[in-house]
Amino acid sequence: MFERKQLAPGVYLTTLDAEKFNRCRITIHLRYPALRRSATDAAVLPLVLERGYAQCPDMTALSRKLARLYGADLGVDLGTAGPDRVLTVDICGIKDKFALTGENLSAEYADIAFGIVFEPYLVDGAFDPDAVRIEKETLDRRLQAEFNNKRLYCVRQARRRFYGDSPAGIELGGYRADLPKVTPATLKAEYDRILSSSSIDVMVQGADSARVADLLLQKLEKVQRAPQRFASAMAMPVTEPRHYTENIPGVTQAKLCMLFTTGTPEDLPSISQLRMAMGVFGGSATSRLFRNVREKQSLCYYCGASALRSTGVMMVDSGVEPGGEAKAEAAILKELDDLCRGPVTEEEMDDCRRSLMSGMEALGDSLGGLESWYYGQIARGEALAPPEYGKVLIQAVTAEEVRELLNSYHYSVCYAVTADNKEVAQ
Amino acid sequence: MSQDQTMQGIRAKAADAIRCQSTVLPSGLTVLCRTMPGYSTVHAMYATAFGSTTRRFTLDGKPVELPAGTAHFLEHKMFESEQGDAFDLYAKTGASANAFTGYDRTCYIFTASGKIDENLDILLNMVGHPWFTEATIAKEQGIIGQEIKMYDDSPDWRLMTGLFRCLYKDHPIRDDIAGTVDSIAELTPDLLYACTDAFYRPGNMVLSVAGNITLDQAVAACRRAGLDKPAPDHTVTVARNSPENDPPQAEMQFSMPVNKPCFALAFREAPIPRGDVRTEMLADMLPDLVCGGLTSLYRKLYDQALVNPEFSGDTVSTSGCCVIAFTGESETPRAVAGMVREEITRLRQEGVDPELFTLVKNQMYGEILADLEGVEDAAEALASAHLRGNTLADEIEALASLTVDDINGALQSMLSEDCMTYVEIEPQNQ
Repeated sequence: MFERKQLAPGVYLTTLDAEKFNRCRITIHLRYPALRRSATDAAVLPLVLERGYAQCPDMTALSRKLARLYGADLGVDLGTAGPDRVLTVDICGIKDKFALTGENLSAEYADIAFGIVFEPYLVDGAFDPDAVRIEKETLDRRLQAEFNNKRLYCVRQARRRFYGDSPAGIELGGYRADLPKVTPATLKAEYDRILSSSSIDVMVQGADSARVADLLLQKLEKVQRAPQRFASAMAMPVTEPRHYTENIPGVTQAKLCMLFTTGTPEDLPSISQLRMAMGVFGGSATSRLFRNVREKQSLCYYCGASALRSTGVMMVDSGVEPGGEAKAEAAILKELDDLCRGPVTEEEMDDCRRSLMSGMEALGDSLGGLESWYYGQIARGEALAPPEYGKVLIQAVTAEEVRELLNSYHYSVCYAVTADNKEVAQ
Repeated sequence: MSQDQTMQGIRAKAADAIRCQSTVLPSGLTVLCRTMPGYSTVHAMYATAFGSTTRRFTLDGKPVELPAGTAHFLEHKMFESEQGDAFDLYAKTGASANAFTGYDRTCYIFTASGKIDENLDILLNMVGHPWFTEATIAKEQGIIGQEIKMYDDSPDWRLMTGLFRCLYKDHPIRDDIAGTVDSIAELTPDLLYACTDAFYRPGNMVLSVAGNITLDQAVAACRRAGLDKPAPDHTVTVARNSPENDPPQAEMQFSMPVNKPCFALAFREAPIPRGDVRTEMLADMLPDLVCGGLTSLYRKLYDQALVNPEFSGDTVSTSGCCVIAFTGESETPRAVAGMVREEITRLRQEGVDPELFTLVKNQMYGEILADLEGVEDAAEALASAHLRGNTLADEIEALASLTVDDINGALQSMLSEDCMTYVEIEPQNQ
């Protein structure tokens, strides 16, 4: 059960049924074009916004306010949608009926979420200099911490080689070298750009959507808006495979990340075809990678495949024995080749279908799952349909479509993080 | 709002949210069910009170000693039977299945939207009919060896292992849950069968289900699996892990490929008796009161960029062991550890701010309700409470009745510097 309506140009409100849940949730998505020059401002902004807003500028006071609302969860995050960025503010807390003294909790949730987006705490027309200084340091620490998680580090290093200077390669977390250039004024300029150019989607689950709509229109009255269209899909060109190896002393399990490109943004596959192809190749416990590379050959502890439709990329990442990278790579490529050339059995198609359809059914039992499902459709520019419709589409995908889709990928980049040779020899 | 009003409010409002049904079958198996109207999926957890810290026991009078990592190894092997892999069977029903091992439990789970009876049959049969051979054990040793190596690269994991080693001289919590490549090499089919005979008895297990399911449906599945009849009896005596009183190792330092120093300041507490929900709640609450996001100490550390945003405290409690640990990353880890110690001393002398205490309690109430909203969290919350020797109603009751005086009393004996250790990971020279 859902309803989506346009409130203003580039502004939409979607109401989703949440009768059975203990909590309610309000999510505000602002989708806007990413720019290399302001990527670091964009990365600092969510950290500053999450500290507070004009009505409640102090970070600890806001934390206490949320605790008073029985531990309501507030999140301010930046994500990607192809070459675009999505700034998301969401708040989730228990429903009014569970409040111990009859408080109107959902109204307070809406006030906080809209306060964060539309009424930031400003000092002399720019963001609070103290907050900006602190959050620049926080981002700096986060960027450095990437190295501590070797799996994530390997994936990001591979992506950097794969996307190069393409718009899809603009770092979501920004750039350490650009941090000194971020100021309260540059941050305000980026905030203004986002507010003005973004497509705004508000999703309401279990709260009073009429009140939320009124509040949203009221806030928008003060904003000059020129919403931009979503960025088109893109794909990196086909190249000869490039291999990179980074030796890090002390690593006990090597990481391998392999990236593939479709080479063209034309003829995009449906999301159902993509889900089935990844499920059969490496996205589930019945996939070829899991069964053959992990279980039969014991070449890695994890080995999974995923793909992004909007940037034409497919990724396989795995954890392997140091020194065993080439063997694992060959085994992964063989599985892909077998699927591309040989038959995809109806049994593995059925196994994959059942798993995906069961997952879609489960979406309806989670506030976050439902929200992601519907916003995913909005982000792809599709008409909204419930997860049940997704099940119908999954059933219609054929083995030949899976084979064709996997055939469209060309091997592009392989990045390995491993222990140095001396260490491997020991 | 007075404390009394808060207590009554919590009890009344939460009563419906925590409702569940339960029964104990003649085999000794406990079945818990939370039927959730309007939900279309079911989550099931079949759990045994056997985790990585159970290492010595007698089975029918015969002493058995287990190498580190046995419970976790067993968890991997239970998916295999003479007929094949349980994942293959789940693939035919569309269920998503998994398992995990903790210090005091091993849990087998699935989530499914259809064929619930078939999925329950797969779950109960796979755990109820263990099958081990030398060959299948050898194959699993390779896969688990890779898993151990993956954790070896995690600074958070290494930090926790380090602090357990400092705080305990004998307790099995010193060893990694997955063991080592050498320890799991000692495993034999006979040893694994001894474990299943001892700990996979219905009387030592719980089946917890939540979502679009009824208790009758769960009990019917148990009946099909033969769990409605008295089970073959074994006499099992588990060697309790004794409390340790010697002073802990004061500190430990080692290096890893990390960018910034990672550290843990940890305290060994008196083990919490099974079923003592109030003390569990107090131990869970303490770290939030010392340096949680609502405290002035956290704000100071965050604003002065002394710690990463994820810096926090946590409590680990299992048989014969209770640890409260504060962990994070910092350029000046010793200084941060010093500030945490000073704050503990201040709280002990001045008492906890009553408003902060009420806010933390509010948060915990909200978290309990949130946990009961999803089928996975609900089934897990029911099973967890049972394995700890209580119920969710007991937990709500204990939370409602806690006062700021209780926490101030606890602070007089807990977080003592006599039982403290400090662990630091230094960045390795590249």
